[in-house]
Amino acid sequence: MKNINIYIGFIICTIIFNACKKDFLEREPQSIVVEDQVYGDPKLIEGVLANLYNRIPTDASLTNRWTEHTAYDDAVWSGSGNAGDEYRNNIISYPVDRWRLWDYGFIRDVNLGIEGVQKSTKLTAQQKAQFNAEFRFLRAYDYFEMVKRMGGVPLVTTPLVYDYSGDATNLQLPRSKEVDVYDFIGTELDAIVNHIENNGSTSRANKYAVLALKCRAMLYAGSLAKYNNLMASPITLPGGEVGIPAQRAADFYNKALDAAKQVIAGPYSLYKSNAANLGENFYEALTKKTGNPELILIQDFLQSKGFKHGFSYDNIARSLREDNLASSAIAPTLNLVEKYEYLDGTAGNLKTRNADNSDYVYYTNTQDIFANKDARLYGTIIYPGTSFRNTPVNIQAGVALWNGTSYQIIEGDLGARYTDGKLLTGLDGPQRSALDLSNTGFYLRKFIDNTPLASTRTRGTDIAWIRFRLGEVYLNAAEAAFELGQTASALSYMNTLRERAGFGANSLSTLTIDRIRNERRVELAFEDHRVWDLARWRIADQVWNGSTNSPDAMLYALYPYRVVRPGDAARHDKYIFIKQVAPRFKAPRFYQIGNYYSSIEQAVLNNNPKIIRNPFH
Amino acid sequence: MKKISYIVLFCLMAFFSCKKDNYDAPTSRLTGRILYQNQTVGVRSDGVQLELWQHGYSLFTKIPVFVAQDGTFSATLFDGDYKLVRLRGNGPWLDNPDSIAVKVSGNTQVDVPVVPHFTFGNVSFNKSGNTVSATFTVQQVTSTSVLERVNLYLGTTMIVDNTRQDASAEKLAADIVIGQSGTITVNIPAALASRNFMYARLAVKTNGVGEALFSAPQRIEFK
Repeated sequence: MKNINIYIGFIICTIIFNACKKDFLEREPQSIVVEDQVYGDPKLIEGVLANLYNRIPTDASLTNRWTEHTAYDDAVWSGSGNAGDEYRNNIISYPVDRWRLWDYGFIRDVNLGIEGVQKSTKLTAQQKAQFNAEFRFLRAYDYFEMVKRMGGVPLVTTPLVYDYSGDATNLQLPRSKEVDVYDFIGTELDAIVNHIENNGSTSRANKYAVLALKCRAMLYAGSLAKYNNLMASPITLPGGEVGIPAQRAADFYNKALDAAKQVIAGPYSLYKSNAANLGENFYEALTKKTGNPELILIQDFLQSKGFKHGFSYDNIARSLREDNLASSAIAPTLNLVEKYEYLDGTAGNLKTRNADNSDYVYYTNTQDIFANKDARLYGTIIYPGTSFRNTPVNIQAGVALWNGTSYQIIEGDLGARYTDGKLLTGLDGPQRSALDLSNTGFYLRKFIDNTPLASTRTRGTDIAWIRFRLGEVYLNAAEAAFELGQTASALSYMNTLRERAGFGANSLSTLTIDRIRNERRVELAFEDHRVWDLARWRIADQVWNGSTNSPDAMLYALYPYRVVRPGDAARHDKYIFIKQVAPRFKAPRFYQIGNYYSSIEQAVLNNNPKIIRNPFH
Repeated sequence: MKKISYIVLFCLMAFFSCKKDNYDAPTSRLTGRILYQNQTVGVRSDGVQLELWQHGYSLFTKIPVFVAQDGTFSATLFDGDYKLVRLRGNGPWLDNPDSIAVKVSGNTQVDVPVVPHFTFGNVSFNKSGNTVSATFTVQQVTSTSVLERVNLYLGTTMIVDNTRQDASAEKLAADIVIGQSGTITVNIPAALASRNFMYARLAVKTNGVGEALFSAPQRIEFK
């Protein structure tokens, strides 16, 4: 009883002494940051921006959808077969929603950011202009990623707010014309280019990143205007949501070339620090982050702060792995390897058979077949007879035993010895059906970290994903100049880039569009360009035609064998190479005309009757 | 006693628990044919799609129905009223935005009339030596359509089309006279020459249309 009195007294005192505290229930939240706080503090706005930079869509980067690097023709999936990854070797046809992107969550976040910065009372005018420019850069980037997948999309430039009136029709915006979206991107980037600052930064957009994005977007628009209208029946919609008028081509190409010229005239230069070894030089150009004058905008990672990824863990060459389980997932194809030209300018097809096709060509070392090739081959791909992290890889499929009339192929376990005591199958394979082992005879070098322990899961790697670099800008400039008939300047851009790859000065004196396209393929392999390039040139449905006889739609492997033919000194213990369809690859790549523009989700169509569907689906 | 009643109760709950709120699987079968002049229209297996829509439910999304290579299709559905739509720009026929009302009640049949761009007439295949040749007549059905090419495909299985084939030959529109008999010849791949039989099939492709129209596959005896 006494206790109860004490409690009651205590409660009464508590109430009395706290009662007069004003706004007792009005508390600053301790666990969330409110809008006014965010847009009152430049550091917090940078946090918002960092979040958006990380959400820039890619088809295949080092972290986002990285496995999709194996869904086209540059690589075969050679990793583990579980978790549904193996299907990439057996895509009967690309689904029409494969590249679908309706990224209005991102657009809304950007629009809220622009509005927040505008309303903020704590920022200086200069800070406001800069943040405004950076948000708009991200919005233009996202619209570019959408328009190249979907055609014209609704242009939303302010946060859409529902007024609870029961009528949402004012929020239902129709699709803009495809050409208008590209024009929007162009004018937005022009408007912000002088306000964005961030000079010298590679992880935040500066003036040159803005120009590089403009250059790429205008080039896409130009080639769509040109090549879509060259198709037997152009892909269009009556309202222009898909289809750019042909007469706009020159205008877009001019804008692309102009933007490219400004970037090239800027403070960037091609990475050439390792002139003694041009192959390593190209590898460093893609993987070094400090002292690399080529990088314009990257998605940076920092291992020491725990912001890292496992791209090296998943894709390191088998015998070099430092962790168990995964390795070798992205195995580059022979298709890509053969696109790297010889340094004398001839086509890059590897010589596995002699001139009259009566016998194999015998090589003393496995790397000899790759002699005198474009240095970018070394920088991109680990091929037989090369090394990585100063350790030689060991690529040999088996031995070819001469039985008097023909060769009998013998393959064994990894590292196994043949009866003559010499190597049967290398520690790096290739083998026909093994998991986590190259299926093509090649491994990826580009973007793989050569730091010790970088291919472990615990340490991870912080190799950056390159969004824009000067090499691409040179190629954009060359293509735009060529399409405009300025062949001489196109040649000079191409030759500058090729010089770094080991070709002599002025290695090209004539130019065709196919040469430029091939150059893009070899320079920008695994940088998320291939599928978009083929789509904007409107040749994807011919290159990936779904035919098992096609040299492009099928993916090929190169298996090296050691010859066992005692008594024939010219051939014994030499190496031969056999080209074949990659054994794990099942269905030819099949890109249909309905893939040029992805389908719009049914829920979007249901919610907004003003949205019209894309052609063919 | 109490224990036993608990066990009985548990069993009752366990045996009947999954019953509640579960629907039976659909059992009504909708089958149909794509028809032109009472003939089924041959297409690529797994390529051409029809759409089924059903209004009146909160989930409004299509049921895709793929057409088999012989121009037939089937779907297992709940009874109800559906709209069957010929997906635009998809099959080797003219777009027709009119939907077809389908009342599914038990097993139901529906014919889908289409107007193709081109059709084949008088198709015959013939093997001589290491080649297979096809004789055909391309007939123009839609006067505004433009012929792109005719292809001959050989395959080891009955499913033969541009993606599932072992040999192919093509003849471009410039070499084809519409309405007159033409031939096209394909070499049998050396690796398959010792087989007992293969299947051959013709396809006619229209400009700007993704899918081609196919003749019926025909078994060709090699021995």
